[in-house]
This record gives sequence, structure tokens and C-alpha cells, in this order.
Amino acid sequence: MSGVIHFIESLNLGGKRSAAETLLVYALHIVVAAVFILPLMWAIAASFSPNQEVFKYAYPFSWRALLPSNFTLAAYENLFARDFGVALSNTFVLGMIVVFVGGVVNSMAGFAFARFNFRGKRLLFVAIILITFLIPIDLTAIPRFILISELKWINTWPALIVPGLANSLVIFLFRQFFEEIPQDLIDAARVDGASWFSVFYRIVLPLSRPVLITAALLMFLSQWDSFFWPLLVAPHPALRVVQVEIAISIGEYQTLWNELLAGSMLAAIVPILLLLPFQRYYIQAITSSGLKD
Amino acid sequence: MSIHSKIVPYLFLLPAVLLLLIFNLWPTAATLHQSLHAQSFISNKLVFVGLENFERILKDPIFWKSVQVTLIFSILVNPIQIVLALMLALLANQRVRGIALFRSIYLLPVAVSINVTTVVWGLMLDSDSGLINGILATLSLPKQPFLTAPSHALWSIILLATWKGVPLWALFFLAGLQGIPESVIEAAKIDGANRRQIFRHITLPLLRAVLLFVLVADTVANFLLIAPVYSLTQGGPQLSTNLIMFETYRRGFVYNDLSTAAAMLWVMLIFVLLVVLFQAFVLRRRD
Repeated sequence: MSGVIHFIESLNLGGKRSAAETLLVYALHIVVAAVFILPLMWAIAASFSPNQEVFKYAYPFSWRALLPSNFTLAAYENLFARDFGVALSNTFVLGMIVVFVGGVVNSMAGFAFARFNFRGKRLLFVAIILITFLIPIDLTAIPRFILISELKWINTWPALIVPGLANSLVIFLFRQFFEEIPQDLIDAARVDGASWFSVFYRIVLPLSRPVLITAALLMFLSQWDSFFWPLLVAPHPALRVVQVEIAISIGEYQTLWNELLAGSMLAAIVPILLLLPFQRYYIQAITSSGLKD
Repeated sequence: MSIHSKIVPYLFLLPAVLLLLIFNLWPTAATLHQSLHAQSFISNKLVFVGLENFERILKDPIFWKSVQVTLIFSILVNPIQIVLALMLALLANQRVRGIALFRSIYLLPVAVSINVTTVVWGLMLDSDSGLINGILATLSLPKQPFLTAPSHALWSIILLATWKGVPLWALFFLAGLQGIPESVIEAAKIDGANRRQIFRHITLPLLRAVLLFVLVADTVANFLLIAPVYSLTQGGPQLSTNLIMFETYRRGFVYNDLSTAAAMLWVMLIFVLLVVLFQAFVLRRRD
């Protein structure tokens, strides 16, 4: 294994790469890219095929498995006929709400941890951030579920929105980023008499575009991917989210392979369209948090 | 600092802290409470039973089997994912034409949810007519019972989790690699260091912080993995994929034994903390 790592690393150094080495780099890229893209190509092709042809070119394998040979929208039409569109729009609206409200809540907390010294800071940071980050949220779902039912929130939007607003990972990310903002900028504004809230709103946030985009991506994606909690608190069809719809389909329509794959592809396309254009911000913010010791 | 600014940080923290207290910390404590109690059959009330739930699971062979499966899974999946992620990051760090396209492709599994990954790979790993068996057939290799044999099923879960997980962790390594200044490497080359030495003595040490983060985050993420087990194997065949997370879910929500499930959660949490501390300790000592 480490031999392979050395080998790849050895192709990397300096601009002087021989033609053979360049060719090797491309060959490696093509093999790895195929591993990631072929499953999705097959899934897309199968989702546009009649159900009885889903496995036709998969076993035994032929390249025709990667293109729909009898193109049909039947799987998608059937999906929307049974309210898949409701699940899609529910999930989208939920994601937007969580991004905006959660963005405010988490960035404020991150700012407090990054720029202030206060009594109990260490304790709060360790207790709230680290513990909630380490404790599997799904495994504390039982008391949370009881709490939600006592609030009479079962099958309501607040049950889907409120528990996920504060996100310790996102707070951590904001803290890391805000720590890098030069103290001079903040001091200058404070000397001019700006309140802490206006410092935060007018100085810090405008400088924080990368982390804001990253946090929005993280929160939207985690909302989009959430499954277990919505299944517990909002099983009603009118409130169903996309991952729950897919999981229920696995049980209910287990031999309607093309519809399962069509639903999966619809669930996949939204995050893909969000992540690809913003990948630069994503990586940039990771650099700022990942490299700090 | 003025008196005013002593209150300010708490105001900034208030919404997040309140929400985390109510919806994260309190349920965690309540889970501990639940783990020390049992549901009474007569009154449906919680009765204090002390450590009985813990004693019961520690005597339970199914629990120990799931601990064993989880250990094997962790020992396999984490190093596999981390080494592959480092390799992928090194590859994605190569400056060649068209690299942006390749990097976008490597980002796809990050965007695709674990449920979607489970649907796609579940069908591809189908023991009868799945695509992977189709490829094996084309190569004249025998059919494999990927999800239906105890010897194969855990590896199939590892495969699926790795396909989904490696690109995410590679992103962190790539960010780390790109943070290494060109001048450091140039200086080492002028000093006569070869490529292997540069990797061993410059690249790896400079990736230490990222490596620590990825080790911890990947281990925790894999402890939480439940979707593919839930949808594809239900812990089987013969409990071979019965990860402790799924066993806990089954106790709590299938058998409605919330107290035992809560006790398992606490065992699991201690386990996670030990792993995290161990990894931090090992990395610190290497310094």
C-alpha cells in the first residue's frame, strides 16, 4: 500500500514529468474515475429503461448497460404519479430554512468561541461541541422523539426543522474561520464605536464568504440526506422527505428496480448540482480548518 | 474589557447553546437515565434497575457478536478508506490538463447520499444478476453471493462504504497537500532529497493534523453506518453484518427494548471515545 502511495507521490514532484509518467497519471485517473462514474451511469441508464430490462445488459455485462437501450420515462412518470414531487419540494424547502436559520445560529456561536474570552468557554466548547459532535445523534433519538411528541410536534414542520438547526460541526467550522480574521479589523471598528453585533454583521460576515458557502452546503446536504429522524417524527405522506420516500420504496416497490433507481437519481442530482460549482469554496474552507494544529 | 462585552459572548452563544442543550445534550443524558431503568410490564412506567441492563448485554452472545463484527469492520474499513483517500488525494493533486474534470468526478460520491449509494450498489451486488456478477461472468469468473453469504456480506458493506467515503476524506487530504508550500519541496530537492524522502520526511509530517482529523472523523462516521445494513442485509446473513449500531437500532425499535438499546449506546460511546483518545495519543507520540 505505502509503496503505491510513494509511487503516486513520486509522479508529483516538480514540473518535469516525462511523457511516460504523464501517460501513467492519465491512466490512473481514468481507472479511478471509472470506478466512481460507472455505477452512476448504469443507474441512470437503468432508470430510463423498462423495468424488465434493468438487468438485461448488467448480467452478463455488456457496455449497453451504460446507455438506455429502450429509452422510456415510465419510471419517472410513475414516481411523480405517487407524490415523489412532494417529497422533493418538501426536502428542498426544509433545506433552505435550515441553511438560513441554522446559518445565523451557528455563525453567531462560532464567533463567540473564536473572538471572546469568557467564563466557562472551555467547558462549553468541550461539552457542547465535542460531545454533541461525537455522540451519534440517531442513538439519542428515543428521548428526543418523546420530547417532540410531548410538544405535539409529530408530523409538523418544526419537528423536522428545529432539532437540526444548531450543528456543532458547523459551529466548529465557523470558529476555525473566524479565528483567522485579523484582530486589527475588529479593533478598528470597535474604536469607531461599532457594537459587537454590527462588527459581526458588517465586518466579519462579509469576509466569510467561503465558510458561509461551505456551511450552507454542509447544512443543506445533511438536511437533504437526513433519513432516520424524519422517518420517526414525520412519516405522514404530506411531510415526507426524499430519503424516507426512497427507503419506503425499497420495501414497498422492491422489484420496481427502475423506479428505485429513478428516485435515487432524482435524490442525487440536487446535491450534485450544488456541490460541483462550489467545490472551490468547499476545499478552501477545509484548508483553513484542516491545516490548523 | 467592559462589563457590556462580558455578556455579549453569551448572547452570541444563546440560540445555539439552548438548541444543543434541549435537542442534543438533554436526550443524551435521558438516554443514560433510560439505560438505568426498565419498562414495567404492569404500569408501563420506568423502574430503576441500576446496572442490570448493562449486565444483561455483557452476558448476551448476540451483543458480543456485534462487538466482534464492529471491531473487524472498523479495523478493515478505516485503514482502507484512509489509505485510499490519501492515494486519491495525491492523484488529484497532479497538475495535468483536465484535472478539474477528474476532480469533479471524484466529488460525485460526496454528493450522493448513503441511501442512494445503498440502492445502486445493492442492485449492482445482486447475487443473481447484479452488474458486478455480470462483469465477473464476462471475465469467466464464478458468481459471488455478495450480500447473501456470511463470508462476503461484510466485505460488500465495506466496499459500498468505501466508494461513498473515500472521496470525502480525500478532499481533506487534498486540501492539506495544497497547503504545503512549493518552496519547502524545492528546498528539499536542492538539498538532494529524493522523491521517497520528500514524501516520508516532508509531505507526511505536514499532513499530520489533517490525518488526525480524518482518522477521528472517519472512525466516528463508520461507527454510525446503518443504512446499507438496514436496507440490504438486516445484520445477516448469520449476523455477519450485525454492526453494533444496527443491533442497537434493532433492540430499540424492532424489539421495543429501549432500555437495552440505551445501555448499548453508552457502551458504544465509551468505545468511540477510547478509539479517538488512542488515535490522538498515538499521533502525539510520533512527534
